[in-house]
Amino acid sequence: MNDIPLSYFLIVSALLFSIGLGIMLLKRNMIFVLMGIELMLNAANLNLIAFSRQDDQMQGMVFSVFVLVIGVCEMTVALAIILQVYRHFKNIDLGAEKSRF
Amino acid sequence: MNPMIASFLVLAGLTCASGLAMAWTKNLLHAALAMFLCMLGLAGLYVMAYADVMAVAHLLIYVGGVLILILFGIMLTHNTRADQYETHNDLWTKQSGRFWAFSISLSIFLGLLWILNRSMASFGIVSGEMQRSSKLTHLGLALLTEYSFAFELAGVFLLIALVGATYIAKHHE
Repeated sequence: MNDIPLSYFLIVSALLFSIGLGIMLLKRNMIFVLMGIELMLNAANLNLIAFSRQDDQMQGMVFSVFVLVIGVCEMTVALAIILQVYRHFKNIDLGAEKSRF
Repeated sequence: MNPMIASFLVLAGLTCASGLAMAWTKNLLHAALAMFLCMLGLAGLYVMAYADVMAVAHLLIYVGGVLILILFGIMLTHNTRADQYETHNDLWTKQSGRFWAFSISLSIFLGLLWILNRSMASFGIVSGEMQRSSKLTHLGLALLTEYSFAFELAGVFLLIALVGATYIAKHHE
């Protein structure tokens, strides 16, 4: 068999999820934090797709399409909010003196 | 080692290394570049999981849409100092405590590995037939028949989110 074992996908996805969590905790810039959240979403997506390999109804893949849509919506709205925060505080660092969130 | 596993390992290495580079760098533009590489590797991993449709959609949406959006966000929220013009970028960002972020994410990763290692035996029971063909026809049929309500709802949700984002980003006086 030439198929890749399921556990490989799960390990890569766990690593991506923890990298995304680390970025989210480590960085102060809001755009950086958003990029970490996108990484975590994509790790979950990889899990769904890897499990839907063995499903003839492809429920995981359909769900990952919706995850993709929700991720894009979250990204656009969050960037618009970041833009307004920048206009208001001239700074988009989390926990900075000018903008305490 | 057969070529399938080898290419999987190359793609997984690309994805994880660029993710780690995103965490490592303090430069926002370098992180955007690393995220581009990470998304390319992820699309390759989707192809390895026999999900060609999702790979193409992922490339279109993330590399074509979200990354451009992030670059615009970086451009519009950058503190430009008018007194100095430099040819290289200086988008350095601040970091909070490195110890806590590293230890929390490492412990989450090890915990996930522990859970996976414990539940690895139960994956073989539920697995059905491996689907190796292209999934485009099946996915289109499923989206327009079984999941048609959710599909339309996702479209309406996307419209509302885009209109709301443009309204939020407007200049309010």
